[in-house]
Amino acid sequence: MDTFYTDLLCIGAGLAGERVAVEAASRGFDSICLSIVPPRRSHSSAAQGGMQAALGNACMGEGDCPDVHFADTVKGSDWGCDQEVARLFAETAPIAVREMAHWGIPWNRVVPGTGTFYKGGKEYQKIEKKEKEGFITARDFGGTAKWRTCYTSDGTGHTLLFTMDNQVVKLGVKVHDRVEAVALIHDGQRCFGAVARCLKTGKLRVYLAKATLVATGGYGRLYRETTNAVICDGSGAILALKTGIVPVGNPEAVQFHPTGIVPTSILVTEGCRGDGGTLKDVDGKRFMDTYEPEKQELASRDVVSRWMTHHIREGKGVKSPYGDHLWLDIRHLGERHIKTKLREVDEICREFLGVDPVTQMIPVRPAQHYSMGGVRTNRDGAAYGLDGLFSAGEGACWDMHGLNRLGGNSLAETIVAGRIVGEKVADYLDGCEVTFKTELVRDFVRQEEEIISRLMAGKDGRENVYDVRNAMQDVMMDYVGIFRNATDLRHAVVQLQEIHERAKKVGLRSSSPGANPELALGMRIKGMVRLALCVAYAAEQRTESRGAHAREDYPERNDRDWLKRTLATWKEGDDLPTLNFEPNSQVWEIPPGQRGYGVSKIIPSEDPSVVGNGEASKAQEVPEVCKTPETPETN
Amino acid sequence: MGRQLKFNIFRYNPEDPKSVPHMESFDLEETEAMTLYIALNRLREEQDPSLQFDFMCRAGICGSCAMMINGRPDLACHTKTKNLPDEINLMPLPVFKLIGDLSVDSGTWFRAMNEKVQSWVHTDKPFDPNAEEEPMDNQLAEEIYELERCVECGCCVAACGKANMREDFMGAAAFNRIARFMMDPRDERTGTEYFEVVGNEEGIFGCLGLLGCEDVCPKEIPLQDQLGMLRRKMGWQSIRHLFSRLLPD
Amino acid sequence: MFTQNVAQAKQPYRTDAYLDTFQMFSGVALILFMWSHMVLVASVNLGSRVMNSIAHFLEATYLAQIGGPMIALIFLAHFVMAARKIPFNYKEQKAMWTHSVRLNHLDTWLWIVQAVTGMIILIMGSIHMWTVLTDLPITAAKSAARIQGGWWLVFYMMLLPVIELHVGVGFYRLGVKWGWITRSNRKSLKNFENRLTIGFITIGLITLFTFYFIIKAA
Repeated sequence: MDTFYTDLLCIGAGLAGERVAVEAASRGFDSICLSIVPPRRSHSSAAQGGMQAALGNACMGEGDCPDVHFADTVKGSDWGCDQEVARLFAETAPIAVREMAHWGIPWNRVVPGTGTFYKGGKEYQKIEKKEKEGFITARDFGGTAKWRTCYTSDGTGHTLLFTMDNQVVKLGVKVHDRVEAVALIHDGQRCFGAVARCLKTGKLRVYLAKATLVATGGYGRLYRETTNAVICDGSGAILALKTGIVPVGNPEAVQFHPTGIVPTSILVTEGCRGDGGTLKDVDGKRFMDTYEPEKQELASRDVVSRWMTHHIREGKGVKSPYGDHLWLDIRHLGERHIKTKLREVDEICREFLGVDPVTQMIPVRPAQHYSMGGVRTNRDGAAYGLDGLFSAGEGACWDMHGLNRLGGNSLAETIVAGRIVGEKVADYLDGCEVTFKTELVRDFVRQEEEIISRLMAGKDGRENVYDVRNAMQDVMMDYVGIFRNATDLRHAVVQLQEIHERAKKVGLRSSSPGANPELALGMRIKGMVRLALCVAYAAEQRTESRGAHAREDYPERNDRDWLKRTLATWKEGDDLPTLNFEPNSQVWEIPPGQRGYGVSKIIPSEDPSVVGNGEASKAQEVPEVCKTPETPETN
Repeated sequence: MGRQLKFNIFRYNPEDPKSVPHMESFDLEETEAMTLYIALNRLREEQDPSLQFDFMCRAGICGSCAMMINGRPDLACHTKTKNLPDEINLMPLPVFKLIGDLSVDSGTWFRAMNEKVQSWVHTDKPFDPNAEEEPMDNQLAEEIYELERCVECGCCVAACGKANMREDFMGAAAFNRIARFMMDPRDERTGTEYFEVVGNEEGIFGCLGLLGCEDVCPKEIPLQDQLGMLRRKMGWQSIRHLFSRLLPD
Repeated sequence: MFTQNVAQAKQPYRTDAYLDTFQMFSGVALILFMWSHMVLVASVNLGSRVMNSIAHFLEATYLAQIGGPMIALIFLAHFVMAARKIPFNYKEQKAMWTHSVRLNHLDTWLWIVQAVTGMIILIMGSIHMWTVLTDLPITAAKSAARIQGGWWLVFYMMLLPVIELHVGVGFYRLGVKWGWITRSNRKSLKNFENRLTIGFITIGLITLFTFYFIIKAA
């Protein structure tokens, strides 16, 4: 058995994992990253549009500051986030962006002079200032008061990931690619590393570490239609559930993106709408301007996705062999803009759809996009329940997104949280010594060996692993989607419990040694179904609508009963997760209020520590120029 | 009823002592808007679950799924079957180490490449978290991005005659990376330092100019122009050096 | 002095760069030579007197006597430089062949054309040079006699396309390798090069025709 010792084991080598490893390595600690794909292929690379940071260089971002970014983030989260974390995040984001510039990101820069931009299909003028020439510029994204999203054309995630991996190479951080962590090694108190499986040879390995970080990204592949990469199966959350101790925070918080292309659900960036693209229906008419007169196409993602689904249900969708869809129209932005600023979009349309976005509209519909939930950590990124275990990025529930994430805040989270958690991990490692118990390691390895041999031999049954996965994805898509209600969710939970039983009986059809893709999925499937159950069951329990969690039977946001976060754990032998709850935030810098977009009735909180915050909150100290315009609710 | 497609797929599992390299045929009915991503996943799920291949983003962004499609390296995810004949031959990329069937170990190769070209901004300036960023011309930022778009899929290496002959040849992806850093004012490396990395037979002077790389790059990065630029710069530098040695001042 | 030594010790290894650069210069020189050579020989189409007087001029000024061997030297040196790129072990040859068949890409095939024609030119070019340079002066009548002998006609009919292909492809490849041919002008320059090659082969054929049928042999 190959055994590796290291100070820090990063499970996942996307932006967050690598950023933590870089921080630890630059403090002199030995780090190993595990990645199921070569690190530069991580799903971080797929983020197109950009990352938010309040630099305020672009003229449309003038007067921006971390306070405004913080306020936007809190509103975006529908007051579901931890406000201390959101504050920390907003303050650190500009530093993180500049640090990435220092490391080589070719951020787009301010070009002084007059330019045009589109909003809601109308053309506007802007004048960039001479004194800001060459500073990092920003574009508009949904749910923000200012233009704040820094970008490199529309390959921001790609350039960030490559630049981050350059630092990894420079610092000599080891990346073991095509290695999948299958279990955390722990004694109920402390985490000691992980058992992993090499996806080149199929052999099990042991990684022993003083600190272990889970940075495995989201769980989009629980759904049939998702913009996520094929590897985004929630492996981090599954590792956490498998411990029986570490909770998954807010699993029900799943975001749908308005513009996945039909049929493959590949994402086209929010930048399309940010730059002035419009959504149209079967009659070629816009509709977001009637539903959301103020923000129109640029209301937050949950709102736009819901209106789109609503509009399709009203019979305004375009019929296609792959189901109904709507149109995204960017034709009026012009060939030059599309071919330079929205280049990947242009490529995706031509290569995957055979559509030319300069002359044709793009078929789109909402698809699962982001998992706000994940391994629950404290503000330092330390996971609940096990000492020495950390988490960061989409795989974590840190929790700055609450029940809804703003576009451009996910990329920002990866490098900001990576930076902050990295420091905390390094602090933790300072002077940290651990004793590894060999019998503990042996037991965990044996457990995995047992799982593998049972799967290969089909000892528990002959269920087809792909059938089980497809059944789960269908249930999630059809009953735990954008609009949720008690009947659907109950149905989903019952169905998933049946699928869970089937998942226990999976047997492989192939017995080839080596990587064996069927075995890899076979080892994951039970965990995936359990995670799906966490999502469905927590969604059923949360009897309110908040952020991306929209209950048709509970349309109001219930601040009285639901200013709290779900914590899901799984006790071995159970067929449902155990749900606990904790308050969203210890600090209420901005007491719950109206978001300024979306339709929501609010049942106000009666907790004086939440609403009766006697001290003047920071948000009220924001200078006049920084203030976010509030839109009166029209509902 | 769609076309009946015949896939001839290279099969070999180095981990299985009983496995020998061979081609295996699969039949599949074509569906609308089918890509090789859809086709291969269906083959795995419906016909042979042991079939190995790599996909990640399935959107042409990550570079995982490069393979030889009817002899040409390309990304499988963006290859539409309607543009292919009834019979489709799929082979793993050459040059890279085979993991199994269509899956190759490009990660190890590219890590070594990145180490070799020292693919990072070399600067002595420390990062000051309180300072504003250094300004940069937007035009330049866009030019850097143009080269930064490489996804390390390995198509250029697979299409390179030299890389097929000589495994120590650096390949177009490496030259493109060097060109990217030479363009970046934040990188303080001197011409001599770049020369040291690339000014030799494993580097730019080993390039035969066959332009396989240029013609297959799925991201259409202007590789040809980088190769030419590098050879000219490095050649010119060596001549200048030679004359400065011959005519000492 | 000491510091200077250190600085020199840090100098990178430059031999590959020198060799490659020399290969380029020798290639350019040979291309220019081949073009002028063709023009000179083709002057016979304007009458033997024209060709004879040009030949006489080159010999009287000793350009032929010095230039000839020099070209021969560059010719050999160019071969040695270029041969470094040609695989001589079977494994590499096979790899290149497999690759070319699989990829089926014109520029890659052209390289094999280049390597094969290079080998042929080494032999046939040497024979031609030896024959001509050991039998100065060059006159139209002597050349005509050689060609009308029959075997030499076959010899030149083979050498002509081989050499023009090599020159044409070499010209294109030099442009590509050194970056004068770029993505934006590649297509049109490749076209131009093709037409140039066909042009020279045509002139060559006409010249051979003239020597065979028109010029009176010595």
